[in-house]
Amino acid sequence: MIKIKTIEEAMYKAMRMAATKLPPDVESKLNEAVAEETNPLAKQHLQVSLENARLAGEGNGLVCGDTGFPLYFIKAGTQTAIEGGFGALWKAAENATARCTAEAFLRPTMVDPLTRDNPGDNIGPGMPKVELSFTGQPDGIEIICAPKGGGSEIFGTFYRMLFPSDGKVGIKKFIIDSIKDSCYAGKICPPAIVGVGIGGTADLCMKMAKEAALLRPLGSRNKNKETADLEIELLQASRELGLGPMGSQGINCVMGMHIETAVTHTAALPVAVNAQCLVGRRWKTTISNNNEVAYEGSIDGWKQEVNHV
Amino acid sequence: MSDQIIDLQLPLDEKTARSLKLGQMVTVSGMIFTGRSRLHIRAIEENIMPPLDYSKVNCFFHVGPVMKNVNDEWEIVSIEPTSSIRFERYGADVVKKMGLRTLIGKTTMGPRTAQSLKEIGGVYLSKIGLCGNQLVPQVKKVHGVHFLDKLGKTEATWVFEVEKFGPFFVAIDAEGNNYFENLSEDIENGMDKIDKDLGIPSDYTYTEVNPSGCK
Repeated sequence: MIKIKTIEEAMYKAMRMAATKLPPDVESKLNEAVAEETNPLAKQHLQVSLENARLAGEGNGLVCGDTGFPLYFIKAGTQTAIEGGFGALWKAAENATARCTAEAFLRPTMVDPLTRDNPGDNIGPGMPKVELSFTGQPDGIEIICAPKGGGSEIFGTFYRMLFPSDGKVGIKKFIIDSIKDSCYAGKICPPAIVGVGIGGTADLCMKMAKEAALLRPLGSRNKNKETADLEIELLQASRELGLGPMGSQGINCVMGMHIETAVTHTAALPVAVNAQCLVGRRWKTTISNNNEVAYEGSIDGWKQEVNHV
Repeated sequence: MSDQIIDLQLPLDEKTARSLKLGQMVTVSGMIFTGRSRLHIRAIEENIMPPLDYSKVNCFFHVGPVMKNVNDEWEIVSIEPTSSIRFERYGADVVKKMGLRTLIGKTTMGPRTAQSLKEIGGVYLSKIGLCGNQLVPQVKKVHGVHFLDKLGKTEATWVFEVEKFGPFFVAIDAEGNNYFENLSEDIENGMDKIDKDLGIPSDYTYTEVNPSGCK
């Protein structure tokens, strides 16, 4: 039986780590990009961002001042037992979010969409967002805490219902145009991780895009060869745009191109794009059935176990 | 782009503003104030503005600071410039109404704001990378906060005294030229080749399901 207090504490710590530490795969990719860029401004955008993250890691500030939407992705085993039941996870996420906000690890950013009133604790209908899925593992839970910044979410979200006759060409056009538009003037804070969903229903399509951007290790390839080839082709095309870090002249506007697919209606070809920004904030915590807690920036192995269809 | 950083004294004067070239690296020293969407909307739609002497404070920093109250003193945790292009609907009117000569933010602003900066003699400065922690020690004093109860910490207007705050680069100059628009032309010119490499025909269009007459 996992104690709910253990989960709440782990959520708080992992969210705090996500807000103050650069994931290791993201950090090494940004360092590669520094070496590759030749335009001084492009290089400087990356160097300053890395220095900013270093300061945050030392306890001076945040990886980014916009801590965005508080997201919790949870995987549980088939026989996992939680004190108070699975429904208690939502309250634990609320408490962890409120505590992070009170301690200024999260900025109070969530507001009512119509009145624009800000409750000051990032809590309200729908937020924090908890996504629960189940794995083939027998027990324990894994949680990825992701403060998802506004820039990438606001300017990096695109959806279109294409049709079978629009073909793969239509998919490619939609994705490359989305990258060009969203990287203009650095809106999504490139180098971005571009998540793409193809197929499913409208909501599943966007969910796949978001999870491709947030829950796949940076630079991983889809297991399906045709999908992986599309990832490689579009990543290469993005590097030819002439767009670099923060919208400068450069090469690295995209540092990861992750595509996920689901079967869809025979009449439909839905495509969604959801981007993650250059700091790719997320941190993982793992809790065993006997309440042992571990934290890590790597999310290797997370995505393969989640089955969308 | 010049490597040399010019420190601009605030409030910025028109002559200095008009001398700045696109891409110039600058820092600013003096008084600045913060705001986001709510400031823009309220200033124009409701005529509610932070009670400041805009002849002395004419630098508007687009940001939602992360603030912490420690023993009744405000501490800044991080101040990451936010996306200015969101404010374009009201940007030009705010510049004119307050007489602003310096805007600091992320991304860029649109043609209407660029035109207003040209008329008034002002510039738009864009950030370098993520820099919200590095800017913190350059704020020498938090002078006050307006509308905190109504708007909350993120959208409230904070007044900061800063020294060599930055660096930023001039992304819109006082002639209305835009760094990113110039860059965008190069990118558009290269799109034909990219589309060709991806196998996208130049006359490709998505399937149209709204026949003319139904639009």
